[in-house]
Amino acid sequence: MTRPLLSLANIEKRFGELRAVNGVTLDIHENEFFALLGASGSGKTTLLRMLAGFEIPSSGSILLDGRDISQVPPNHRPVNLMFQSYALFPHMSVAQNIAYGLEMERLPRSEINQRVDEMLSTIQLAHLAERKPHQLSGGQQQRVALGRALVKRPRLLLLDEPLGALDKKLRGEMQLELKHIQNTFGITFIVVTHDQEEALVMADRIAILKDGALLQCGSPRDIYEYPIDRFAADFIGIMNFLPSRVDAGALSAADGSRISALLPGDLKSGDNVLAAVRPERLRLGAADAENCLSGQIRAMAYHGLDLHLHLDTPLSSQPLMVRLTADAAEGHPFAVGEKVTVGWSAHDTRVFTV
Amino acid sequence: MTDRKPIYLMTPALAWLTAFMVVPCLLILALAFFQRGTYGGIVYELSLDNIAQVFDPLYGRIFLKSAGIAALAATIAVVIGYAAAYAIASMPRRHQPILLFFAVLPFWSNYLVRTYAWIVLLNREGLIVSFTRAVGLEGELPQMLYTETAVVIGLVYNYLPFVILACYAPLSRLNPEIHEASRDLGASEWTTFRRVTLPMTVPGIATGFVFVFVLSIGNFVTPALLGGGQFQMIGNLIYDQFLTSNDWPFGAALSMILIAIMMGLLTLQTFASEKASGQQRSEKVDD
Ligand SMILES: Nc1ncnc2c1ncn2[C@@H]1O[C@H](COP(=O)(O)OP(=O)(O)OP(=O)(O)O)[C@@H](O)[C@H]1O
Ligand SMILES: [Mg+2]
Repeated sequence: MTRPLLSLANIEKRFGELRAVNGVTLDIHENEFFALLGASGSGKTTLLRMLAGFEIPSSGSILLDGRDISQVPPNHRPVNLMFQSYALFPHMSVAQNIAYGLEMERLPRSEINQRVDEMLSTIQLAHLAERKPHQLSGGQQQRVALGRALVKRPRLLLLDEPLGALDKKLRGEMQLELKHIQNTFGITFIVVTHDQEEALVMADRIAILKDGALLQCGSPRDIYEYPIDRFAADFIGIMNFLPSRVDAGALSAADGSRISALLPGDLKSGDNVLAAVRPERLRLGAADAENCLSGQIRAMAYHGLDLHLHLDTPLSSQPLMVRLTADAAEGHPFAVGEKVTVGWSAHDTRVFTV
Repeated sequence: MTDRKPIYLMTPALAWLTAFMVVPCLLILALAFFQRGTYGGIVYELSLDNIAQVFDPLYGRIFLKSAGIAALAATIAVVIGYAAAYAIASMPRRHQPILLFFAVLPFWSNYLVRTYAWIVLLNREGLIVSFTRAVGLEGELPQMLYTETAVVIGLVYNYLPFVILACYAPLSRLNPEIHEASRDLGASEWTTFRRVTLPMTVPGIATGFVFVFVLSIGNFVTPALLGGGQFQMIGNLIYDQFLTSNDWPFGAALSMILIAIMMGLLTLQTFASEKASGQQRSEKVDD
C-alpha cells in the first residue's frame, strides 16, 4: 500500500472546556475526493482550519507527504483553503485575485499571466476578468474563490461548504463540475459539507463527524448501505426504524409480528433493538417477500421521479415511508386511507442497538 | 408621498445651518469685496484689492507655511493614529470599546487646558527637562517651547483621537477571513498588511488626514500658545485682522480663501470615500 498523502493521528482541538475535534485518526490518499460530513457544530471547519494552518492542534499529528506540518504557518504549507465566505479581495479584480497566490510564489510575470488566463477559462470567467468581486453573482464569486485556490496547484485543496450559498439547481451543476475539475487537475480535495446528498454525489470517500469525533468513514455506498449506527443511518438519507426485540435468532416487532433480518452475532435474546429499512427497499404488494406488512396510506408526496407513501402500520408509531419509482407507481391511483401491502427482504433489514 | 417625509425631518438642521453657517459665510464673502476705512471700520465701496492682497508673496508664504505645518501634523497623526487603531482592532473584541474610550479620553477635556499642559511639559523648567536631568543626562536641551516643533506636537496631540476613530472604523470592519485568505495564498504578515489590509483601509486614512489638515491649517490657538507668536499661521493672521488691525475686509478675504481650500479638500475626500465604500458594498450584479 502506498503512503497516504495526508495522515491524521489522534488529532484533538480544545477551546477551553469544549473539544471541538476529538481524537480524529484518518488517512487520505493522493487524488481522493474526500468529504467531511457532519451536523452544524460537529467540528468540520475546525478540522479544516487545522489542516490549513489557522489552528494548531491541542494534540496529535498531521503528516503531509510524511512530514509533520501541524506547526507550519499557513503560508508555508502546500495546502489551500477555499473559505465558506469566499473571502475574495474586494479591492482587486477577478484576475488580480487569481494572480495573488502566484505572485507570492515570485513566479515570472509571463508564467503568472499564462496560468491566470488558463484558470479564467477553466472557471469560465475570462469575460469578467476585470470585474471587481462585488460586481459578480454568488455563483461567479464562488468560482473565483475556487480558481484562486486551484491556480496554486496545491497538494491538498480544502473546501469549506463550497456550494453552501448557491441555489439548488446551480449546486447540482457545480457538484459535477467540481468533480470534473478535481479529476482533470488530479488534486486531492477535502470538501466539508452538511448536505449528505452532496457528499454521496461527489465524494470517493466520506467521513461522518459527530461531536468532533469520527463516527464512520467509507465509500458513499458503504456509508449509505451499511451505516454503523442509528445516528449514521438517520443522518444519511431516509431510514424507517422499527423498534423490536431479539427473540430466538429473529426479531419480534412491537405488535408481536416477526421481522426477518441477518442478525449480527453479538445480540442476545431479549435485547431491544431497532430494525431499519430504507424506503426504496420496500416493494408494493410483495406478499411473497421475507417481510410483509400492510398499512393504511396516511399521506402521499409526489416528487416527479418517485412517489412517497406514508403508511400507518401496527409496527411503529412513526409512519412507514415507502418510496416507489414512477414505474412501480404506474397505474395505481393511490388514495389516502387506502390499505396497501408492502414487503422487503431479510438482507435489506439493518439492525441497530438502541 | 411617504418617501418625502424624511426631508421634513431635516428642516431644523437646515434652518440652523442656514442661520449660523451659510449666512455668516455669505456676509464674510460680501465683506471681502469692500474696503477698510482709514481708521478701521468698513467703507462700502466695491474693490478687488483685498483679494489681490491675499496673493501677495508675503501672505502667500504664510499660507504655504501653514499648509506645510498642517500637512506635517496630519502625516504624523495618521502614522501614529493608524498604528494605534490597528493595535486596538487586533485585540479581543470585548476589550476594544474600553481601549477606544481611553484613546479618545483626552478629547473630552478643554482644548486650552490640553494645550497649556504642553507648555508645562515643554518649557525650560518643564517636566521633560527635569526628567532628562533626573536620569542624569547632561548638557543643554535645545529650546522646545515656542518652536515650530512644539506647534506640530500640539496639533498632533489634539487631533490624534480623530485619526484613531477614523482608522479604527474600517479596520474593525475587515472580515478576518480575508486576512487569512492572504496568508493561505502564501503571503507573510507584512505582505498581507501591505497588499490587503492597508489598501482596504485607505478611506479611513484619507478621512483622518483631511480632518487633521483642515483643523490644523486654520488653527490659531496652538500656534499662539506653543509657537509663542514667533511665527504666524494663517489662523493667527486672520485673528489679527479682525481683532488687532481692525481690517475686517482683508480678514474676510483671507478667510474666504481658507474656507475655499477646506471645502475643496473635504469635497475631494467625500467623493473618494464614497467611491471606496461603493466598491466594498457587496451588491450583486448579474450579467
Ligand atoms: N475559535 C473558537 N473558540 C471557541 N470555540 C470555537 C471556536 N471555533 C469553533 N468553536 C466551537 O467548536 C465547535 C465546532 O465548530 P466548527 O466551526 O468546527 O463546526 P462546523 O462543523 O464547521 O459547523 P457548521 O456546519 O455550522 O459550519 C462549535 O461548538 C464551535 O462553537
Ligand atoms: Mg463550518
